[in-house]
Amino acid sequence: MIAIIDYGMGNLASVEKALTFLNIDSIITNDEKMINKASHIILPGVGSFEQGMTNLKELNLIEILNREVIKNKKPFIGICLGMQLIMENGSEPKLCKGLGWIKGDVKLIENNKLPVPHLGWNRVYKKEFEFEEDKLNDNYYFIHSYHVIPKENVIETYVDYEFPMVASIRRGNIFATQFHPEKSQKAGLKLLENYFKSYA
Amino acid sequence: MLKTRIIPVLTFNGISLVKTKQFNSPRIVGNPIQAARVYNNRDVDEIIFLDIKAKEQKRKLNLPMVKKIIDECFMPISIGGGVETFEDINNFLRIGADKVIIKSKAIEDPIFVSKAVDYFGSQCISISVDVIQVNGKYFIFNKKNNIPLETFIQEMNNCKVGEYAVNSVNRDGMMQGYDLDLYKTVNQLTTIPVIAIGGAGTPEHFVKLCQSGFKGALAAASIFHFTQHTPQEIKRTLDFVKIPVRI
Repeated sequence: MIAIIDYGMGNLASVEKALTFLNIDSIITNDEKMINKASHIILPGVGSFEQGMTNLKELNLIEILNREVIKNKKPFIGICLGMQLIMENGSEPKLCKGLGWIKGDVKLIENNKLPVPHLGWNRVYKKEFEFEEDKLNDNYYFIHSYHVIPKENVIETYVDYEFPMVASIRRGNIFATQFHPEKSQKAGLKLLENYFKSYA
Repeated sequence: MLKTRIIPVLTFNGISLVKTKQFNSPRIVGNPIQAARVYNNRDVDEIIFLDIKAKEQKRKLNLPMVKKIIDECFMPISIGGGVETFEDINNFLRIGADKVIIKSKAIEDPIFVSKAVDYFGSQCISISVDVIQVNGKYFIFNKKNNIPLETFIQEMNNCKVGEYAVNSVNRDGMMQGYDLDLYKTVNQLTTIPVIAIGGAGTPEHFVKLCQSGFKGALAAASIFHFTQHTPQEIKRTLDFVKIPVRI
């Protein structure tokens, strides 16, 4: 059973729907017992960083998540805001502390040429300066105005938005994506399927 | 590189899918749930679903039915129709909408939009901008047609909304091509993402808008209802002329 953390930040139903489609059991919850029992934890979410942290705090989830993910090393997926919240510092709308599992900050995308939010389908790359286009099916759906800047070696993929922006990170039991696999059609479903297969 | 999104629009009258011409004479074009299923199978980039009669008929969106539509989709979906309150927005988001489209309420009450952005986040608040051309100038389509496009967009920019869906009333359902000047004007007024809607009748119309320098997504309805062209085929046409799309 996979626990999808319910902390009042956005579209949890889509994550549940994607897992159901893949025949993976999940539950949307903020109950400590359910989170303790779960085999994996998913922290989705859209919205503001500060509000996200406030909600986690009010629901007493910070301590539970720290224990399950950091101490007990339970496999964890952060999606979009759920990726940003595991960093040390956020800045939306003002400077505030995150969960701090990964060293680094979350900052506003500063880009004079292209619109912010970064919204739509974009291809992810393994290396920072590998920008040549190809036809691989690795376009994912992004919608975000802030991006993570890790200060440790955790970056798995980048996305090109006039500069190489971090698209996903991985460290031990922690995996997180700035894009929405649950909204990324076949490519996203495949990514989730492969992820959970690796634990089968 | 960010891909140019091609978005089918489903307009609904409370009972079935309909397609209008210049916002008039709705013609019945099918079942929304079936349509959503087909578009999901065709791997489209995104879907827009609008109940165009909710406001006029003073009713709320049929949430159980819209949920069935959303359940068919593994891509982003924007929902609009009769949004008046935070509860409406919350209801749409709860059944799985990614973006909520606000129209009349945004014209009547910009402060509502501003508050909604603060509460729900700009990424999920889209504004439907229906534009009518009168004597060569662009106005927001309402009973009086007296709000200049520029004034409205600036007001919404200040509210920090997440996206604009800009419909050309003159071009709606005519299948004669997008209003290139309109989207040039809109691109100059905002840096927020824009979706162009209204007028596409052939794949070449999509190419023309992209090649005019327009930055944003392209949406259409009639071409998908009344011709053999599919979103995938349009993307292949765009790809052929080196416009970045997700294939």
